[in-house]
Amino acid sequence: MEIRLRLGRSGDPGITSYQLPAPAEAGLSGDWQGASVSTALQVLQRDVDPSLAYALSCRRGLCNVCAMRIDGDVRTACTTPMRDGILVEPARDSIQIRDMLVELSLVRKARVPSKEHPHAR
Amino acid sequence: MAGWDVIVIGSGAAGLAAARHARIQGAEVLVVNKGLVGRTGATITSGGGISVSGEALARLGFAGADPGDRVQDFFEDIVRSGYFLCDQTLVAAIAEGVEEDLADLISLGVKPKVSRRAPGHSSGRGVLVPGPELQKGMTAAALASGVKFREDFVSAELLQSDAGVSGIIGLDRRTGDVEAIEASAVVIATGGTTSNWALRTAPEELVGEGHAMALHGGAELIDMEMLQFLPCCAIAPEMWRGIQIPWILGPQSGVRAWLLNRYGERFLGRWDAQNMELATRDVVAAASAAEVLAGRGSPNGGVYLSWAHLPRDILDQMPGWSKSFSDDWRYQGFDVAPLIDRIRAGHAIEVAPAAHFSLGGIRADADGATAAAGLFACGEAAGGVHGGNRLSGNAGAQILVQGRRAGRAAARHARRVGSIRPEVNWRGARERIEAPLLRNDGVAPAELQRRLAAISEAALAPIRDAQRLTDALDEIRAIREDALPRLAARSHDRSHNRDWADALACNASVSVVEAALLGALARESSLGAHQRSDGVAASTLDHGLCRLVEGQTRHRSEPVQFPFLSQETR
Repeated sequence: MEIRLRLGRSGDPGITSYQLPAPAEAGLSGDWQGASVSTALQVLQRDVDPSLAYALSCRRGLCNVCAMRIDGDVRTACTTPMRDGILVEPARDSIQIRDMLVELSLVRKARVPSKEHPHAR
Repeated sequence: MAGWDVIVIGSGAAGLAAARHARIQGAEVLVVNKGLVGRTGATITSGGGISVSGEALARLGFAGADPGDRVQDFFEDIVRSGYFLCDQTLVAAIAEGVEEDLADLISLGVKPKVSRRAPGHSSGRGVLVPGPELQKGMTAAALASGVKFREDFVSAELLQSDAGVSGIIGLDRRTGDVEAIEASAVVIATGGTTSNWALRTAPEELVGEGHAMALHGGAELIDMEMLQFLPCCAIAPEMWRGIQIPWILGPQSGVRAWLLNRYGERFLGRWDAQNMELATRDVVAAASAAEVLAGRGSPNGGVYLSWAHLPRDILDQMPGWSKSFSDDWRYQGFDVAPLIDRIRAGHAIEVAPAAHFSLGGIRADADGATAAAGLFACGEAAGGVHGGNRLSGNAGAQILVQGRRAGRAAARHARRVGSIRPEVNWRGARERIEAPLLRNDGVAPAELQRRLAAISEAALAPIRDAQRLTDALDEIRAIREDALPRLAARSHDRSHNRDWADALACNASVSVVEAALLGALARESSLGAHQRSDGVAASTLDHGLCRLVEGQTRHRSEPVQFPFLSQETR
């Protein structure tokens, strides 16, 4: 099972292709087609690229922290099933933080930045 | 300003209620959250029930409310369904207090609907606010009150002064800085510990950092062995693991699907012949787990839920019966049409009980105060409300009431203690937090997380026994000695380093799983969510309490008090 990622690391627009481990090796119940894109990213980070950054919380398409551009459309990765050769990109380049992480804060205006915090040491 | 008055850790409904009510009291409040505020946490995944007595609903003007359903009835339902293991002062605070919070919620513009069906309650009691709507309303209200936020900040330890808790120490995942943030009072609202189980309904992040911080900060944990399982959750395919769709398409909606073992037997007949699949969730969960233990389970370690005896078109009515499903079979973010097709074609669905809600947790009083000065706890992180089993909607009431009361009490505490005393533990804490990042070689955090989940899954399943619990405890203690000190992030980037955050999660997991194992070993009889296959008859009803003594987690038993409703009236 192949997954293709556009990570945008250091401005590189290239697409990196990864071969996912066999389902049993990855600890899946069933095959890759029954797993979500989020599970694929989880397995990639654990077994292939420890520095990979992505977000995941509710695993049921409600919280939207795992929003990504998958085969051209922005969707929640946790509810999108895998397919061979799937293309995963940041939801939007202008809000990319790192890899598939994008800025989705709902409270940005009330956030205390660490560097401005009087007690940061 | 010499620091914050109040820090709240966690931003589900409990945390945001605490933050807002502390702010209304005039406190300077910082909410610290591991992920994104308003998006992460369990509130958003809640079915949305908020239990309220009928008399309170009638006073609030809800049409169709039953004014004969008194606060006292609500209180008694909670205590009875919790098998009398509840802390009755906490139950009373919630049964009486939730009217105020519901009125408050309505004043914030949230529009609750009256709930027609409330399983296990003696009356059709309570209202519904879908999780995402509740989370949205609470986030907006906290923002409007002037609360400030830190996001992507993993809290790891409490900052201590010689006079008590004086703030938190943790990792800013964005910058990669380890920071101390000072405050006169800290409220823990980090939710449950269900992420320590492999099969779970809850979101990813509920590992129990708050519990571990409280334990190490001098507070006690109560009845940590009590973990509510939701029966009939999907176990395959991978994407649907822990999703409760089969439960909702079956017993939850009154559709009389049958639970079968691999021999086709309706095994619930051995547990509750009258109610069968409509028995309470603790019974259905335990019965399902027992079949698997006896070798009568399905290939993926569950049992079968079957609709085959029902009319093939019965599920066509479901979108009309349940608002959870759209006409084109969307459920939450999922397209469940393929599952419906399988059921219509006569296939049974493999299901198993999934870790759902922490009934045990940090021991706190009705104002959220813990044994540690300046430390408060509320919501699912706080234990003792539900005893051995929780009725639907009661968590919704708990998070609102406890959030409000803990927030107010923390603000009062901050006013009383005034300025912050100098800390005494910052350097050691920073070294402990940075160690997994700086270590070059050792145990990969994700590997240890898998091991920990396997331990919980095996030893802390709905049915337990002394042998497996003892083995698990030995393994956990070996992990504490050998693996935790060798945790090493495989990437050394400071910013958004998942291995580093996973390593901090492992530290917390080991503390909470150990406490749960100690509690489960000490409770030698079966009670609600805690079933022992080697159980003995209980002579007394005790709480199990864990605290740290000279760096070791110690368990003790304490008789349950019955200040309002005695056990004899059961």
